[in-house]
Amino acid sequence: MQFFGFHLMPYPYLPDEHRRSRDSTWVTLSNRHFDPARGHQLYQRYLAELVRYDQAGFDGICVNEHHQTGYGLMPSPNVVAGLLVPQTRGKIAILGNAVSLRDHPLRVAEEVAMLDVISGGRIISGFVRGIGAEYHTFGLDPTQSRERFHEAHDLIVRAWTEPGPFEWYGRHYKLRYVNPWPRPLQQPHPPIWSPSQGSAETVDWAARNRYTYLQTFSDLGTIGRAFSEFREAAQRHGYTSSPSQLGWSVPVYVAGTDTEARREARVHLDYLFNTLLRMPRDIFFPPGYLTLRSAPRVMGAKRGLGAGPVDPDDLLERGFALAGSPGTVREQIDRYASELGFGIFSGVFQFGSLGHEEFERSVQLFASDVMPALRGAATTLPG
Amino acid sequence: MSERELLVRGTRVRILTAGSGDPLVYLHGAGDLGEWTPALSALAEHHAVVRPDHPGFSSSDDCPDIDSVHDLAFFYLDLLDELGLDRVTLLGSSLGGWLAADIATIEPSRVSKLILVSAAGLRAAEPVPDMFVLSAAELAELIHHAPDARAAAVAEAQQRADDPAAFGRYLRNRAATAHLAWNPYLHDPKLPRRLHRVTAPVLIMWGRQDRLLPASLARQWSELLPGARLEIIDDAGHLPLTEQTGAAVAAVQAFCEDGER
Repeated sequence: MQFFGFHLMPYPYLPDEHRRSRDSTWVTLSNRHFDPARGHQLYQRYLAELVRYDQAGFDGICVNEHHQTGYGLMPSPNVVAGLLVPQTRGKIAILGNAVSLRDHPLRVAEEVAMLDVISGGRIISGFVRGIGAEYHTFGLDPTQSRERFHEAHDLIVRAWTEPGPFEWYGRHYKLRYVNPWPRPLQQPHPPIWSPSQGSAETVDWAARNRYTYLQTFSDLGTIGRAFSEFREAAQRHGYTSSPSQLGWSVPVYVAGTDTEARREARVHLDYLFNTLLRMPRDIFFPPGYLTLRSAPRVMGAKRGLGAGPVDPDDLLERGFALAGSPGTVREQIDRYASELGFGIFSGVFQFGSLGHEEFERSVQLFASDVMPALRGAATTLPG
Repeated sequence: MSERELLVRGTRVRILTAGSGDPLVYLHGAGDLGEWTPALSALAEHHAVVRPDHPGFSSSDDCPDIDSVHDLAFFYLDLLDELGLDRVTLLGSSLGGWLAADIATIEPSRVSKLILVSAAGLRAAEPVPDMFVLSAAELAELIHHAPDARAAAVAEAQQRADDPAAFGRYLRNRAATAHLAWNPYLHDPKLPRRLHRVTAPVLIMWGRQDRLLPASLARQWSELLPGARLEIIDDAGHLPLTEQTGAAVAAVQAFCEDGER
């Protein structure tokens, strides 16, 4: 088992009137609610927490990209990764660059290659489309999201692996000269991860390309289904996938006892799921962002993300988050790993409004009392 | 009313037709789910009405080459060729109004009369609601004026998720609209500089209480199309042909007969 520590860098100071409202925390929540002075302190703390994962013996740390929201203060994961390179020794997983949102995917090819060369080959490159809300943010046609993603990915991988200059003439990008300096250090290119909530198209794409698939924000049933589909897709594409190609990303809170852990986790899960992730469904899933096959199910669902408040206890029951004593959390991860077949565990130890002291204690307990026992199932990262 | 399929340069289009007389092509709006309406029946008393589903909408195929209303306008010129219609009255509602105006700038001679109902295509001077952040029910509330019509439309929108066929059509049409009109939002910044090419007599019709595309846009259209007739329909929101069918169709008919004198 490989362990990663993920940080979303949430803004914990949203005013009570917003928390009590039904208003979106994405796209339209006024940035007058962002206090730059408190933001300065927050960034220092969050960067230190990411470094803490590395010091505590995690295999790597994870950062991601989101825009115009109190959910996360990382519009540029590459900037954060750049700050962390000199302060860490393990892997840095960028999960991911939202390549479809970029005017120019070559900028991602360049930035990730820079980070890979500077870090001595410690970068894992995640590629995502960006969530639906971000198509509102950038005024980008959501119906073109998948096409842009695939073309941008193909262009970036080719730019990393084929000596330039060469011409790229695609539907969305037309370039006379593709020839980025620097090229990545890892050969043929940094490992590529595909974070997703389990869309059938993404699962198949990741399996076909032999990438690592990371399941985020899902219940155990969805995770099990997606991982099975991944293994089946791998067989269909002519190989047997390895557990090291499957990762589970989940908020985790470890405390002295189960009761204490669950009591404290509830408060911050409530803030994460019912305030930070709150947005109307038509902002979450703009027209054409989902395929016509999956849109009716998601848009017509009576529950699920974008459909109103959720109960933190229910989230814990269904595996959206883990909270417990070290023994309980260890037993859960061990059991789910053998049931679901994943070899990468990515814990979000700071979530919602969880404070620094709680984070410290939780990470410490996890590193000393959870991780070592589970190392037995160690797998190696592909490529 | 009869239904047929037409192949337009490889794309299958569903077309509803009724009536006889001068051909009138009805270009539907974004929220239209492909129904034949009372307004179309009324128009068919005087015209040979042709009502296609746009490619990508309702029962027509997708046409992957179409990325804009301007592309769609060229598609419709091919469609008119395929139907053997040299010169037609174009009546477009909302998104369809924008399309009608664009067609009339490309081949003005194909358009005998141009009728723009609550037409998208221009940028309003004041802030307007963003249809793409609104749910089906919120949108239904916004586009209807009369309380009864509003309540009925909201109820229908809320129940749509329980009818897989209708819900799938709604989601596909909404995606097709987003592909054409996401950004710039429901308009083409280049259209105003092309409108001088329109040669047909023009009727601009608006619901006085339109809250999706405000009636101030009717004045903008009038300024860009000098000589156009302007009809503001009382007690109507974004869909005057639906909410005030009698008055709206009468205004269309009066305009059409006027031109014949």
